[in-house]
Amino acid sequence: MIGNDRNAPRGGDRDRDRDRGDRDGGGRGGAGGDDEKRGGRGFGRKKVCRFCAEKNAKVDFKDQSTLKYFVTERGKIIPRRISGNCAKHQREIATAIKRARGLAMLPYNAMVG
Amino acid sequence: MAETQAAKRLREYETIFLVKPDLTDDNVDKLKERVRGIVGREGGKVLRFTVWGKKKTLYPIAKQPRAIYVHASYLGHTKLVAEVERNLRNFDEVTRFLSVKLADEVDPETRPVLEDVKLAGDVEETRPGAAPVERVAAEDIPESADEEATEEA
Repeated sequence: MIGNDRNAPRGGDRDRDRDRGDRDGGGRGGAGGDDEKRGGRGFGRKKVCRFCAEKNAKVDFKDQSTLKYFVTERGKIIPRRISGNCAKHQREIATAIKRARGLAMLPYNAMVG
Repeated sequence: MAETQAAKRLREYETIFLVKPDLTDDNVDKLKERVRGIVGREGGKVLRFTVWGKKKTLYPIAKQPRAIYVHASYLGHTKLVAEVERNLRNFDEVTRFLSVKLADEVDPETRPVLEDVKLAGDVEETRPGAAPVERVAAEDIPESADEEATEEA
């Protein structure tokens, strides 16, 4: 829809080394503790920040199709606890959405129904 | 030596501006050239203009449901951006604009000037019925149309 050169090569070359690296670099101190808690309750799966998982994916306010995933039908920004973004990328997403709203590429408030 | 090198380094910016949808292509080109002139005058370098075409806006802007999006990426200093924005504010046709810094300390020599791009926009999508109906009509009555043409001639 929108020309976005930087996102063109989507990396399909995931390997375990990088996954491990991301976890180390993510700075999630209580990762082990979280897992144990989740194990105790027995719900859900670990959400991964898609911008950390895919190195080539960048947050871009011009990329309407990507930003759509982080906005509700009504146009509200989806919280991190639901989207699974890491803090850094959630911040970037939030600014990108706000910029896109200013240019009428995303709605401030969309009517439903 | 180091100082002169540092002075040559520029920042990379992008500016997107929205233009009223009733503007013709020529007028959009003229607007582009004016912006290009400003950037050149202030010691910057235009890398590329991309006209995204007429797109539907998600809320009315300047009482219009559509707008022409123009994207410009260029190198320059802070004063250049201020000057470009001041001018955009003065152009009546420009309804919105947004400037974002993309990179610090870019050597202008390393960045080539790219050709301007023009995208179609999504005017066709908003009126899906119009184009196919015309096409079908043309296919159905080619002979009769020819006959009419000859009769008229």
